[in-house]
Amino acid sequence: MAPYDDWNKIEDDEDEELQDYSLYEGKRDVILFCIDCSPSMLEMREDERYEDVQTCNLMVALEAAMQIQKRKVLVGPNDAVGIMLFNTTKRNTSGQAGADIKKGSYVHQPIATIDAPKVMDLVQLLDEARENPEMLREMFPPMTDKRVPIGDVFTSCNWVMRDGAPKTATKRIFLITDEDDPHPGSSRNRMMTSARTTLVDLVQAGVTVEPFFIGTDEKPFDATQFYSGVLLPTNITDLDEFTDDGPAPILPESISITRVDELLSQMRFHEVPKRALFSVPFTLAPGFVIGVKGYGLITEQKKGAYKYFADLGDRMEPVTSRTAYVDEERDAEADKAEILYGMDLGAPMADGEDTEDVKESEAGTRQVRLGSRVFYTADEVRSFRTLGLEPGIKLLGFKDRSELSFEDNVKHSVFVYPDEMTYSGSKRTFAALLRTMIDKRKIAIVLALTRRNASPVFCAVLPQAEKVDESGWREPPGFHLIPLPFADDIRAAPLLKAFRASNELKKAAQQWITKLKVKNGSYPPDSYPNPALAFHNAQLEASAFREDFDEEGFEDLTVPKHDMMHKRAGKLIQEWKNALLEDETANIIAAPTAGRKRKADTQDVVVDEAEIRRLNDAEQLRKLRVEDLKNFLKSKSEPVSGKKDELIERVAAWLDAHPQL
Amino acid sequence: MPAERAGYTVTMFLVDISPSMGKTRPVSVAGPDGKNAQTIEMTNLEWSLQYAMLKIQEMIFNGRKTDKCGVILFGSKETNNIINEENGGYENVSEYIPVAHPNAATLAKLQALEPSTVAGDPIDALIVAIETQDRFLGNKKTWTRKICILTDGENLMEVEDWEATVAKMNALGIQLTVVGVDFDDKSRQYEDKSDIKRVNEAFYQGLEAKLEHGAVGNCDHVLSEIALPDVREVKSTMTGNVLRIGDTEGRPNEAVEIMIKTSKATALARPKGFKKFARRKRTAEEEVEAAERMDEDEAEDIMTFAQLHMRSEYYLEDDKADASAPRSANGGADDDAEAQAERDKRLVKVEKEELVRGYKYGASFVPAPDGEFPKLPVRKGMDLCGFFPNKYFRRELAMGEVYYVWADPASPMQQVALSSIVQAMENEHVLAIARWIKTDKGEPRMGVLAPYAFEEIDCLLWVQMPFADDVRNFTFASLQTLINKKGEVVKEHPYLPTDKQLDAMADFVDAMDLMDAGEKDEEGYRKQWFDTRDSYNPAIHRTKQALFHAAIVQDINTHPLPPPHEELTKYFDPPRRVLKRARSAIQECKRSFNVRKVPKKVARVRKDEHVRAHDEDDETILLDRQGPGRAGPSQSPTQSRVLAQSQSHSQRQTSPMHTQKKPSGNDSDSSHTEPEDEEEDEEEELLLDAKHRPEPTAPLPTPARSLSPDPRIGRNREPGRIIGFTYPLADFRKNIAQGDVITKAVEDLGYVIKEVTIRPFSSRRHGEMVKCMHELRKVSLEEDEIDAWNDFIRELKDTCLKSKPGNKEFWDDVRSFGRPLSLISQPEARKAGGKSTISESEAQKFIQD
Repeated sequence: MAPYDDWNKIEDDEDEELQDYSLYEGKRDVILFCIDCSPSMLEMREDERYEDVQTCNLMVALEAAMQIQKRKVLVGPNDAVGIMLFNTTKRNTSGQAGADIKKGSYVHQPIATIDAPKVMDLVQLLDEARENPEMLREMFPPMTDKRVPIGDVFTSCNWVMRDGAPKTATKRIFLITDEDDPHPGSSRNRMMTSARTTLVDLVQAGVTVEPFFIGTDEKPFDATQFYSGVLLPTNITDLDEFTDDGPAPILPESISITRVDELLSQMRFHEVPKRALFSVPFTLAPGFVIGVKGYGLITEQKKGAYKYFADLGDRMEPVTSRTAYVDEERDAEADKAEILYGMDLGAPMADGEDTEDVKESEAGTRQVRLGSRVFYTADEVRSFRTLGLEPGIKLLGFKDRSELSFEDNVKHSVFVYPDEMTYSGSKRTFAALLRTMIDKRKIAIVLALTRRNASPVFCAVLPQAEKVDESGWREPPGFHLIPLPFADDIRAAPLLKAFRASNELKKAAQQWITKLKVKNGSYPPDSYPNPALAFHNAQLEASAFREDFDEEGFEDLTVPKHDMMHKRAGKLIQEWKNALLEDETANIIAAPTAGRKRKADTQDVVVDEAEIRRLNDAEQLRKLRVEDLKNFLKSKSEPVSGKKDELIERVAAWLDAHPQL
Repeated sequence: MPAERAGYTVTMFLVDISPSMGKTRPVSVAGPDGKNAQTIEMTNLEWSLQYAMLKIQEMIFNGRKTDKCGVILFGSKETNNIINEENGGYENVSEYIPVAHPNAATLAKLQALEPSTVAGDPIDALIVAIETQDRFLGNKKTWTRKICILTDGENLMEVEDWEATVAKMNALGIQLTVVGVDFDDKSRQYEDKSDIKRVNEAFYQGLEAKLEHGAVGNCDHVLSEIALPDVREVKSTMTGNVLRIGDTEGRPNEAVEIMIKTSKATALARPKGFKKFARRKRTAEEEVEAAERMDEDEAEDIMTFAQLHMRSEYYLEDDKADASAPRSANGGADDDAEAQAERDKRLVKVEKEELVRGYKYGASFVPAPDGEFPKLPVRKGMDLCGFFPNKYFRRELAMGEVYYVWADPASPMQQVALSSIVQAMENEHVLAIARWIKTDKGEPRMGVLAPYAFEEIDCLLWVQMPFADDVRNFTFASLQTLINKKGEVVKEHPYLPTDKQLDAMADFVDAMDLMDAGEKDEEGYRKQWFDTRDSYNPAIHRTKQALFHAAIVQDINTHPLPPPHEELTKYFDPPRRVLKRARSAIQECKRSFNVRKVPKKVARVRKDEHVRAHDEDDETILLDRQGPGRAGPSQSPTQSRVLAQSQSHSQRQTSPMHTQKKPSGNDSDSSHTEPEDEEEDEEEELLLDAKHRPEPTAPLPTPARSLSPDPRIGRNREPGRIIGFTYPLADFRKNIAQGDVITKAVEDLGYVIKEVTIRPFSSRRHGEMVKCMHELRKVSLEEDEIDAWNDFIRELKDTCLKSKPGNKEFWDDVRSFGRPLSLISQPEARKAGGKSTISESEAQKFIQD
């Protein structure tokens, strides 16, 4: 059976609500690493991670770039990256990409879709640099006399982006430097102005700059020296503001000032470009509307897209697929513009019945009088799904926080943040609502239609207060939009009655549960990388690099910490288990099978486990009926498929794995 | 009513086609716009058939092969039924559609029914139906038997021996539904009816009373009942698994395995899809045939629509295939270049079977052996990883559908074991972290288990939680701590709510509370408003309604889709009670927060959310509002300034109480009288301007400012132009950044340059104009406005050199820049991906003379 056929199968109905992210994953992301190559960046020091290895800021930056490339290639295989160095005397030779950029900058990797050779080149470069600490300095000789004006750096970035990045992509520059005052002295103001002007050009070209500033204890990075006068707040695009000399009101959101060893983790935060899923009006009451944007902070990260390739002998070439809608009877493809929508016609009548009326060729067709209409247009079909609503969120009212129950969940939540650009005053209103709801311990109930081709859904709106933790990571202020199940989504419990534990047994369980409780803990997503995904990606990467996959070296971090569990609670679990084995209720033989009449008939003779064990020890399992074997396996949640031999084998295997205590 | 097994049902529809059913009646249907009701005429037959068709449609919709139905007519001219064949009698009863799973043809046949000329007896038909159904089912005793009679009860019935029939029906467990046209029911009494009908109705009532499962309904009523959204109940299947606590392999003494079953507690239901159809084109043969038919008897023209099926095809770009394919012996080189080019464009279709599966690693391709990589070797089971206090549960992280986790229903031991854990967790107020693997080598998923106690059973609820890979840590600006570029914390800012605003919001939240906004319970207390269990998915039910409607009507144009059932939209607006209660709080909020819609710009070219350079006021809209001669609106208001402005501006108009911006604190305002306040606000506004506009020449933002025109700040733009005379370059850049009005911007900048150069004293702006020209040319080249540039530069040259005042001096300036400001030539244009009719030499010459 093909493993990913599910994946490949395009939903029969392409109008099905788009998966939330398809739209936005489809967009390409382009990152240009723009790394300072000045002497301070090249200064060698001991690498804290390895013995006898030296490193420098440039190396760390390049390694981070390499790691980001490795990650990005799995998350977005179409994304492109490039690396440009500045403050180096190395030049691109003419004919090469980057030959015409400003002096002092060097394009090490022109912007292109990430591929295995490129990542390997970087890995190799870093390996050599570790072997030979002088190598980077020789390869990228730093400018020692002066520094390239930051304005020129931005201009060069602009050109590199222009040459390599597709128009529709999100374009970002990761600026990495450890110099907070590149142009000290009298020229500073002039340099600031020119840098700002060129940055404005960049922004106009649709490029954002995300700075990563490296500071040390001895030499902290002071952004106010130079950069805060240059960088633009990302959510304010007013350009005039930066031409006047006054301070812009607010600092940009994303200046990362970091220690060099945290560079990579800082970059991780910015690995995926922040893109809104939707931007809609949020109607608090008739005539009282603010603007909000929605972001997917939780998205199931799945394996990369499965592709089909044609084997051309010497290489693989991907094929493109095309979906056509065909009148199978005539083998004629329909023009997409002429497709109409209607009800499934059902299976054709069984043979022999009624054939005189229905001609063979008319099966699967509907006859319509000329001028009449029995099908809907695509627009009408969409309006049935939206009920004619326009995209937006509408507040219905507030409820107590405690009303949001655990089981009222069907899919992941979406994070909502105010959008000042569509409604001025959104931020203060949003902030006031957020604070009030937190104070009053309330949730809101809203009706949300987030996109034109979605369908309306009721959501609980859970406020989140902003918090800053020690690492400086800020839990953002905003609302979580949690879709509530409809009556149609709720399933009744299939079981109504069962035996319950006695008070003693409950107490015994409580003993070990307390021991296994993390007092101030919660569910820690960061502790659990997806093992199946990592396993897949590791193999993919090994295969792309033509390396052997090291399965032994693979660690699954989601496996329970058994050692710790047994150390803390092993004895208590055993006590509970003993109490359980002696419990009166637990040892009732004939289980009442509430509401399961049909099953009761077949389970009249229950062969108990002890008997089966005895037969197994005597290698006489064959004596049992298939029915008995199946019942036993079923009670152990094992599969009951296969022939008797397989069943016997499976029973024996289970008994071996579960020796009687 | 005992739980019914879905499917396994035979329904017999007995349709009265006696002449009386031909009587027409006005029926109110939705108008063509789906809203305004209109009245159309239909026969009672057509009308009552809707019930049968909706029922049959439901069977087609659900697609259960064991849902079968048959149709028997009474009042038909011909007689065709099994009892008549064998024993005679039972006249005018005919089996119209044999028992089968219905399809579109079934509906088409029903639609074709017309009232006949003879009357029929429903009791005859009932007996025929019982017999037909019974014979069809043979020994299938467990099937559900249903019979439905559609009649107007206007014809004589032979009612003797009906007790025997009732006994038979009860014995077989038949469920009878009588749908009567204009029958009396609790809510309606029809006065002017015939005696026959009165008697017949009484008979049906008596029949209903004697039957174990019988119902008589008024057609009008049942048709509205059937439109109610009904939730399709799905019983989740229970899947076996095992809950492991501790290391069951290495330390079995201290570890436990509990046999469990899991089933879904919530499952996302989706609207049923529409099928695709297209009109079938006639073959030549059929064309001739149709034409002949037309000649013969003027038959109606019929369109045939075929249901479409999806087909995927795979293509390889031909040149790629060619490049590596070995050249044929006599040499592909013989092909002439044209044929080669032709072929390059083509795509080669490849069969799916010949393809290899693989993955993309960036631009590299990685084929996967056997179609996929080996899977993580894991055992199925649910492993307990630990517990944590439930108050720290982050509800927003829950990712998907919720599952029940039950102990094995056949084993008291397992039930007691799980129950003790559930109860202990409840006592301890903890949730558990658990890793769940559904099958061997399946993909592990992390989740949280919550204890849940039903009345007589304990279970756990499991919900998936994100892996590290699933969480995106986007950064968002603080909403409470604003820091300016000097690193200072800003205390007052339009982004920060004032105490007064917070008070208004608190009142609003209180007033909009839903906890007591619902209906009253038995004891007279108001319940909450909104319950998930009563909230129908409007998309599912509306789609279904539309599907059914289109399937049973002959023409949507004349029989438009009625509006959605009110049950679907009952939660679409806050309850009226609440809105009424909140009215003053809402007013206060509107006043206090003063949210303004930022004028929307016309469709932008670049849909890049990330680049917010576009999120700005639409110039053209602003322009429209602006009267001639007034100071032009600002180009690029900062957001905060827009805020400050719009806020203070409307303060003046609507909200004298509002003093958010007051530099001197927030709480002194209540004592102010209105006029004072107004003055204050004016002052305040000036203060604000000063504060936010450190540079006197900086432009002001909103059009409202035109009330106090300030020549310094105007953009000095002519009506209809998007580039002003004051800051043409900045205007231009901004418009280009927005990317949606490039052509206009190019044209207007050209206009401005030409205008400026011929104005008196323009010489001090020559430098600026040359700068503009450089920018204009660059953009023209990049944005394919090459012709616009070439036209512009020619006109400029003419204006400077040939027109009356002229400006030779300026042209000399331009000429000094030489080639870079000349016409754009073809080679240049081609490099930029555009076209030009100017040759390189022409461009060189143009600027020199």
